Amino acid sequence: MKYTAVCEFELLSKSREDAIAELLALFSIGEKSRELLAMALDIREQVGATVVHKDIALPHCRSILIDKLTIAVGRSAAGIPWPEKKVYTVVLFISPVKHNGPEEHIEFLGHIASCIRDSGDKIAKVSHKDELLNLLGLQLEEQGE
Amino acid sequence: MDKQLEKLISLHDLDVMIADLNRKEIRDREVDMGLHTEGALEELKGLRDNYCKSINRKWRGLYNQLTRHYGNAVVPALVGRCTGCLTRLPTAVCSDPERNLKIHTCPTCGRIIYWAD
Repeated sequence: MKYTAVCEFELLSKSREDAIAELLALFSIGEKSRELLAMALDIREQVGATVVHKDIALPHCRSILIDKLTIAVGRSAAGIPWPEKKVYTVVLFISPVKHNGPEEHIEFLGHIASCIRDSGDKIAKVSHKDELLNLLGLQLEEQGE
Repeated sequence: MDKQLEKLISLHDLDVMIADLNRKEIRDREVDMGLHTEGALEELKGLRDNYCKSINRKWRGLYNQLTRHYGNAVVPALVGRCTGCLTRLPTAVCSDPERNLKIHTCPTCGRIIYWAD
């Protein structure tokens, strides 16, 4: 598979802000970068919540703070208020800002849209991390990568 | 990190967000995913205007000037180089552990530089 992601299958967060922070904490980036990315993602959510098909939220942005497409997947059995709708699956992704434009970002948006369109119902019912990543066309990022 | 530098990085990310929502390909993909983008662009522009007011006039002016000229005003330094123009940056600045505590600009292109933490 082309895309790698980190995953937390048992998110503890009870709010959108906390869930974004919990997923950002999985990335190997500095605290300040994490803080600025959380702010950018929050702004994006403020102007339109990123909740899509079957209780899935897709917080995302492009940023100069990262140098490669960075993806984190989270699952919450209890659900997370986003804030009007409860979501159970969160796919957070941040694309780098490159000289050649947002091609990679557009490509990943297309990839994730197609996965949700094809497997949205299954994604909502998964019971295992590997199954979730597989349905999203992602593979688990190896530690230290 | 210098507070003004943080704000300039965030302003840059906000401008990228606005540019992205202005692109038809991205808007179409977002709609395809089931997201609603109506009104988001205007709201982002409003947030940007307000955010700009919190940035020192000197840095805001430089940011706008660089954005008009290059399209991007803030770039990370990577292996001692400005990633905007690839100029090698002064070693003394790059090796300073407190390099992000003030705003540095590239000696060649003038872009605002930060070091990823």
